[in-house]
Amino acid sequence: MEQERRSQWLRGVLDLCVLAMVAEQESYGYQLAQRLERAGLGVPGGTLYPVLLRLQRTGLVEAQWRESGSGPARKYYRITAAGVRMLRQASLEWTEFVGQVELVLRKVATR
Amino acid sequence: MIEAHNNQWLAALAVELRRCGVAPDLAHHVVHEVATHLRDSGEAASQVFGTPAAYAAAVADSLGPSTGIYQARRPTGQVRLAVRGVSKRYGRRSVLRNVDLTVRAGEIAAIVGANGCGKSTLLRICAGILSPDSGEVFIDGRIGYCPQEGGTYDFLLPDEHFVLVGAGRGMSRDQAVSDGRRQAGHLGWDARERVLARHLSGGTRQKLNLVMSSLGDPEILLLDEPYQGFDRGTYLDFWDQLWEWRNAGRAIVVVTHLLNHLDRVDTVLDLTPSAPVTGVGQRRAEP
Repeated sequence: MEQERRSQWLRGVLDLCVLAMVAEQESYGYQLAQRLERAGLGVPGGTLYPVLLRLQRTGLVEAQWRESGSGPARKYYRITAAGVRMLRQASLEWTEFVGQVELVLRKVATR
Repeated sequence: MIEAHNNQWLAALAVELRRCGVAPDLAHHVVHEVATHLRDSGEAASQVFGTPAAYAAAVADSLGPSTGIYQARRPTGQVRLAVRGVSKRYGRRSVLRNVDLTVRAGEIAAIVGANGCGKSTLLRICAGILSPDSGEVFIDGRIGYCPQEGGTYDFLLPDEHFVLVGAGRGMSRDQAVSDGRRQAGHLGWDARERVLARHLSGGTRQKLNLVMSSLGDPEILLLDEPYQGFDRGTYLDFWDQLWEWRNAGRAIVVVTHLLNHLDRVDTVLDLTPSAPVTGVGQRRAEP
């Protein structure tokens, strides 16, 4: 149940988290998967890549295939100007939303 | 172990992506991205990506509508081929009984059915090579016909085939050769090679056949299992080519016994005797 609720929350903000991580640093998919994992927001690849595709389609990130020094060519994602604007706006809304939820729930926790 | 599993999974994903209508170049990128992820992480594909079908659906979903080139659209084109009440007997054996089929510009019709049920016979009747015992065939446009076998000339080079067929369709030598080579390229074949047709492999001879049938852009293409001897990659290229022709407004009839592509055709005519009668080709649900 707990797990279920958590993954539901994550589903609502995963695109923002991914966008934020891409904004921090241009990355390829597997790097993002690892960084999400370290941040305690790990999702399977089957969830991550469709999010990236959606962000790309909506013009919030752009992608480029590049050969790395050794291994095969990788698809690197980079945030666009539109992505930066959207991320900034959405972060504000999220903070506000979390604040409202917290106000309601804190009463329960301290009761 | 994992590597074999992953390779199999990736191959299945490629097929599923096509089925979901994801354009080939994009599908290629999606598969490649998953492959590099799996190589980096060492994970088993099915554990992190689920089943190929489910993942392909998730990808298609994230791409939104109208990204694929195979978006089915309502046929608005004119009727190019109309088969009405065609019957044919060989001796006492009735091969075709009262068959109807309508194909419009921008449509692919698949003729399916067991061996010997008259698929090739019907196609030959449509091509005008064979007469029906009764019934009529109406044609509006030029026909390109690709037979199941034969059709090539043992002692001619591929280029000479193009020139020969091109001449019959009012094309100049140069144009016929350059068009032929380009079409061959779409099927992964370099037709510049100076090899007599009789020394080409069976699969390559079929590519030659297919290219000849489409030279000069005839409005109607009648293809009799043209992919025999194609390897898997070429087979998929062939279907890509069909969809491109369809989207360019050709009317296409393809005889096939392979059913796994039927979700990508507009009309299916099943000639198997037990099938619900050879009436109007049933329309498949659009994807």
